Amino acid sequence: MTSSSAPSRKALSKIACNRLQKELVEWQVNPPAGFKHKVSDNLQRWVIEVNGAQGTLYANETYQLQVDFPEHYPMEAPQVIFLNPAPLHPHIYSNGHICLDILYDSWSPAMTVSSVCISILSMLSSSTAKQRPADNDRYVKNCRNGRSPKETRWWFHDDKV
Amino acid sequence: MGNKIGRRRQVVDEKYTRPQGLYQHRDIDHRKLRKLILDSKLAPCYPGDDDCGFDLEECPICFLYYPSLNRSRCCMKGICTECFLQMKPPHSTQPTQCPFCKTSNYAVEYRGVRTKEEKGIAQVEEQKVIEAQIRMRQQELQDAEERMQRRRDLSSSSRIINAGELEYLDTANSLVSSCRYLTQGNEIVSSEDSFTVPASRPSHLRQNRDDRFDLELDDVMVMEAIWLSIQEGRVPRHPGFGSTELTYPIEASPSGGIACTYAALAERDLSSTTQNIVPVFNRTLQQQSGTLTSREEHAVNNYPSERWIEVSPDNGRAVHGEEGYGSEVAQVSTSYASSDVTVDPLGPSLSLVEGGNMGAGHLLPESFEEQMMLAMAVSLASKKQSAGCNMDVVEVF
Repeated sequence: MTSSSAPSRKALSKIACNRLQKELVEWQVNPPAGFKHKVSDNLQRWVIEVNGAQGTLYANETYQLQVDFPEHYPMEAPQVIFLNPAPLHPHIYSNGHICLDILYDSWSPAMTVSSVCISILSMLSSSTAKQRPADNDRYVKNCRNGRSPKETRWWFHDDKV
Repeated sequence: MGNKIGRRRQVVDEKYTRPQGLYQHRDIDHRKLRKLILDSKLAPCYPGDDDCGFDLEECPICFLYYPSLNRSRCCMKGICTECFLQMKPPHSTQPTQCPFCKTSNYAVEYRGVRTKEEKGIAQVEEQKVIEAQIRMRQQELQDAEERMQRRRDLSSSSRIINAGELEYLDTANSLVSSCRYLTQGNEIVSSEDSFTVPASRPSHLRQNRDDRFDLELDDVMVMEAIWLSIQEGRVPRHPGFGSTELTYPIEASPSGGIACTYAALAERDLSSTTQNIVPVFNRTLQQQSGTLTSREEHAVNNYPSERWIEVSPDNGRAVHGEEGYGSEVAQVSTSYASSDVTVDPLGPSLSLVEGGNMGAGHLLPESFEEQMMLAMAVSLASKKQSAGCNMDVVEVF
């Protein structure tokens, strides 16, 4: 599965390393509501537990996000995917890939893991139907060789969910 | 004028005119960079500090601390020179977007080390963010507590689902309130926050407030309409009367007329105690060829030689008593003015109705119009009592 394959595993640059350490400290002091960072000594890959917000379709459900950081983070976006099983959502493919613009074209180095997490929870929370994207099967088939979602040319068309 | 001061060359150690190696910079024109730094157009490339020292600013991209940062022209966010040099994607022909607010044609300016004032402002803003976060936390704790309480209270599973829905609303609200707070604080959102707040949330808040406002406004408008219809029906020949009357309730204040009603009633109250002044409504109704004051502001126009009660469009709700008025009356009027429409519901207007301190014959409404006036005043007063803080919502807008 793509979920276990890492993006190009180049070590973090000094600046990426430094920033991530600070982000982690900040996370520990002030974690975003609904998220839990699973402790590990791997700074380059964070696994984060997401709790669906109460009152949404995903209430009382827990999912896992895997965040892989590229060498040139934060100039480059992290790769963020859901580990299996991925939540049923019109913008989340069964292989865990997430169609969310800030993870790709709209990434900004001013964003942080924490802000990305909250955006993803917001996306989950605003869903009105638990269903896969219409082109799920085709897309997942195309990704079978373990392609990163960052290589996908995403087309962001729905600003509602 | 001021330009020269900002553009003077600054004394920068030669080694800080080139990147310190934070990034592996691609194709940088070192001579140009050096010139920009010496001309004070970019912050010097001081090596970033890991810890927040005295008088240092954190670059929101590399999270290192610097004596001074460049500011984006669009949103005034700080950025160190080396991070700024990274902002333009290497092969992109499109204009660069501001990493903070996404405005295109990202550009920065350098204003040197922050002044004391700027630092003070930044500190206040940070404090506000921290306070907002604390409030959010407290709200969450409170919500959790309430949730627990509800779980304890409710046993049936279907009710628990309801409670869950409420919980969600609670969280949404707490999010919203913090969001509103941040907006009020003038863009003080830290880089994290600015992206975390979903765009749809503020509108949700707005919706809420509008709804509440509309409820209030509807009532006010209905009363206003009654008031106007009376005015129009009775004083049709006032020159210019109709137009000002018709516009001010919406533009100046939705409650202007009501304030007048109050004031008029109050005046009546007082006048009845002095026993020699005709109630204001009667006077209005009697007046056919009134001399309208040249300032186009009034609600009820009295005998020109006497006083009148006016609502000025600029302060909307202010009700003045003119000179020559009994001091008592003036006092009452100004108290109405200062407290806007939040007149104590148990004030004169109610005592006028409920209290038995006046001659009944004098007091009892003689015409349908007057009865309406009284009904309005009373209903508004009771409404105020029951609505409580809802009036505040109106004032926010």
